[in-house]
Amino acid sequence: MRPGVEPRSIRLMCRLYRWATLLLPPDFRSSLLAEGGRDLLQLLREAHKERGPEAVLRQGGAALADVLAAAPREWRAQSMRNTNSTGGGGMADRLNELKVAARALAKRPGYAAAAVITLALGMGSTVAIFTIVNAVVLQPLPYADANRLVTIRHHAPGLDLPDLSNSPGTIRVYREEADFLQAMAPYGRASMNLTGGAAPERVRAVSAAPSLFSVLGVAPSLGRPFNDADATEGPALATILSHRFWTSNFGGDPSVIGRSVTLDGSPVEVVGVAPAGFAFPNPDVDLYVPMWVDPLGDFGAFGTQMVARLAPTISVEAAQARTDDLNARFPDFFEGIESLLDQAGWSATVVPYKDFIVGPDVASTLWLLLGTVGVVLLIACANVANLFLVRSDGRQKEIAVRRAMGARPGHIARSFLAESVVLGVAGGILGVALAAFGISLLAAHGPEELPRLHEVRFGASALILAGALAMGVAVVLGSVPALASRRSTPAGILRDGERGSTVGRSRQRGRNTLVAGQLALALVLLVGSGLMLRSFAALRGVDAGIDGTGVTVVGLRVSDTPSDEAARFFQQVAEEVATLPGIASVGLSGHVPIGGGNNNGGSFYIESRPRDEGDLPPVAMYKPIGADYLDALRQPLRAGRALRRSDWETGTPVLLVNETFSRQHFDGNAIGERIKWDESVQFAEIVGVVGNVREFGLQEEAGPVAYLPMVVGDWSYPNLEGMYLFARADGDRTVPVPAIREIVRRLNPDVPVTSVRTMDEVMAGGMAATSFTMLLLGIASGIALFLGAVGLFGVVSYVVGQRTREIGVRVALGAESSEIQGMVLRQGGKVALGGVLLGMAGAVALSRVMASLLYGVSTKDPLAFGLAPAVLLLVAGLATWLPARRAARVDPLVALRSE
Amino acid sequence: MSRLTHLKPAWFHILLALANGAQHGYAIRQAVEDRTDGAVRLWPATLYGSIRELSEHGVIEALEGEEDPDDDQRRRYYRLTDAGRAVLSAEVERLQGLVDVARSSEALA
Repeated sequence: MRPGVEPRSIRLMCRLYRWATLLLPPDFRSSLLAEGGRDLLQLLREAHKERGPEAVLRQGGAALADVLAAAPREWRAQSMRNTNSTGGGGMADRLNELKVAARALAKRPGYAAAAVITLALGMGSTVAIFTIVNAVVLQPLPYADANRLVTIRHHAPGLDLPDLSNSPGTIRVYREEADFLQAMAPYGRASMNLTGGAAPERVRAVSAAPSLFSVLGVAPSLGRPFNDADATEGPALATILSHRFWTSNFGGDPSVIGRSVTLDGSPVEVVGVAPAGFAFPNPDVDLYVPMWVDPLGDFGAFGTQMVARLAPTISVEAAQARTDDLNARFPDFFEGIESLLDQAGWSATVVPYKDFIVGPDVASTLWLLLGTVGVVLLIACANVANLFLVRSDGRQKEIAVRRAMGARPGHIARSFLAESVVLGVAGGILGVALAAFGISLLAAHGPEELPRLHEVRFGASALILAGALAMGVAVVLGSVPALASRRSTPAGILRDGERGSTVGRSRQRGRNTLVAGQLALALVLLVGSGLMLRSFAALRGVDAGIDGTGVTVVGLRVSDTPSDEAARFFQQVAEEVATLPGIASVGLSGHVPIGGGNNNGGSFYIESRPRDEGDLPPVAMYKPIGADYLDALRQPLRAGRALRRSDWETGTPVLLVNETFSRQHFDGNAIGERIKWDESVQFAEIVGVVGNVREFGLQEEAGPVAYLPMVVGDWSYPNLEGMYLFARADGDRTVPVPAIREIVRRLNPDVPVTSVRTMDEVMAGGMAATSFTMLLLGIASGIALFLGAVGLFGVVSYVVGQRTREIGVRVALGAESSEIQGMVLRQGGKVALGGVLLGMAGAVALSRVMASLLYGVSTKDPLAFGLAPAVLLLVAGLATWLPARRAARVDPLVALRSE
Repeated sequence: MSRLTHLKPAWFHILLALANGAQHGYAIRQAVEDRTDGAVRLWPATLYGSIRELSEHGVIEALEGEEDPDDDQRRRYYRLTDAGRAVLSAEVERLQGLVDVARSSEALA
């Protein structure tokens, strides 16, 4: 109907008629306009010619009325049609299409299983990682109005202390001066001995200001929160139990409120039980004790955490500005620190509390993983799309016949859509199962370093995402062959068969592009996991400075014991353990190398170099060790002598330093120098230099560290309560841990054995974050490579199948089988090379994002960037070689007869 | 086949118009109008709705590729199927029967 050149009355009627037909069912409307429209035009022209515009309006009006009358009839007919074919309306019609599709898929179980498993892998991993990202990074912390919670961190880059928590001094200043904080609660973690029960127990405690519960907006489920009277300068008087600890150790007995327990030797009243699920700051906390905040708190001694709630209407930025002002005024609050702050390059940052808990590395790792699995999903979709294309090619003739018979493109598209919906939903269901399994596995065995792991649940958001993904995948997949088949004309296909036509060639190009894209994505992930593997190898290759193999670490803890007495006790345990069969040597230290523990350190004084007021003091860490510590861990002595038992028994003020210490502070000639950490005590003499050990983690270069005998004269350590026993097994024998426990129990039944692990486990723990990322990336890239290879294999096989006849002709004309093989290999090689080029560009981009996760390897690591494409090409070569071999074996007679 | 007896008037006229050979839609309309002296006019929505239904019942079918050489545009031609011919004669017989009954009852005499 082209009303453009017609009289106005006809144009008007045609337009009205078009609009009126909108009332009709869409597919009837289109067929009516195609045929009836022309009829109407002819009708109106004749009417106009014979009787003028008025007749046009009359005739047109009748035609319009006819449309109105036909509309209900046609809709009824439409629904009758549906009913006839399926037994009940449009919904049932769709269901029937799905049933047909499911049945068609069931007839090709290999194809269906490949597609469903591929999609399930992609969707399952995406859903699983999204669930983790959502719980850890996106969801607010489980406290009231948690987005208003912040903490303040301090930075002293000039002192080589880029990230500091708070000190009693900063806490005091913020508490008194920071009106931009509604409330704040300093807190710290502590280990305490709970006695009085069947066996002494070491409990993980959080010592927090009484305001903690009100800052977090959480009320105890039983009893009361702390009040200011609970917090005294002496030992704690009150405790609030965590719900888990209350359930496991007090049987969930409500009468526990008011009961007295013994913590670190003093009686403490249980005043409350925290609500279930309250896990501040971690789920492993057993109980809370009130923290006393010193109103005269000193500026030094950083190590106290804090959480604060912003005052109403104060934004994080505003709080930052006020914190900057306040920090600039620090010299008013603390005497004589002005030049120190200047030299330190002092600053403070207001950090949203969630960011502090999660940490930037974790967040970026998780986002990277989410991107990775997203890529896997893309590859999976591309793979299934390819399967679809191949399959729709197989159905080309059928489709052409159906279209020639009058089937509208919509119908054909719907049949593909039905199939992709079945595949997408099945893949989604299987994927959800995979994701739920993966998440439960992760929740049980995930790295402890992953914060908020206990909050990760498989929930509604995961299901919603899975549903959306399944539908999205179904629509995308379903439209691929429909779009492809729309381009081709039935006549062309029926005439040409499947070979040689330009349509066939462009479809092949589409498939090749898809596969090249897949291979490119796989390469990106391969390079990523290669970089992680290199980081992991670099970490493994790190010389920790000790030989931990065969060493078992046993934690011991005394309470309320004078340091010299404690040292004697630890020494006695060590000596008795050393006599056990199978033990080669036993050492003691207050700190586990690589693994962390209590870190002590700070600025110290050098006797030979008195410093002026305002000079930047030298800074170093120190750790107390027992006599045979170096032996037990095989930490080498570079110069001088080791510590002896007599050193602490006679109170001789001596110590060891590591090579970095010696080099940094004494140009490598440390022996004979005298230093001290506290102005009020006597100097101690450096008698030996030991090899560097990565005390604070494998990734951290050894800084200056001093090793002090357990107790020496008046400069005993403020805390000699917790010590670790390092028992080295003799040869291949194992360390008899039960016997060690027995010795401890015999010597002091009140001392709990706090932890038992091997140094190998400690080392593994130091690599946990890297190995976790590496493992997940490795799995993802493995899946990606596999899917990419399958895609390539599928495409090349398909082409070989299509060209069987042509190959047969070539062979019949004398082509060597090696020529045929080369021809096919070249075809696959072109696709693979395209993928490699594309993938390398992507990999360069990815490696930049990954920079913060890498250790000891450049983001342009030639090995990873060289090997990954090689692996990809190798696998691609294999995937091409299999069909190429088949092509080379084509028997010309069979090939020519086959059509 | 019994489902198709007692044809709607439009259907009957369409089948009748096709009894003498294949026609396109516009020709069907004109034939019906001429035969009934303008009493029955098949407007497009009714005409093509009916054609569609009749095709689905298998009583008429579209001819693919038939072109009227004088027609500048391609029109789709329809023809009666064997089933359609049977339906038409059955309907004529039924109507004939009704007329016979009415005549013999002498009510109209």
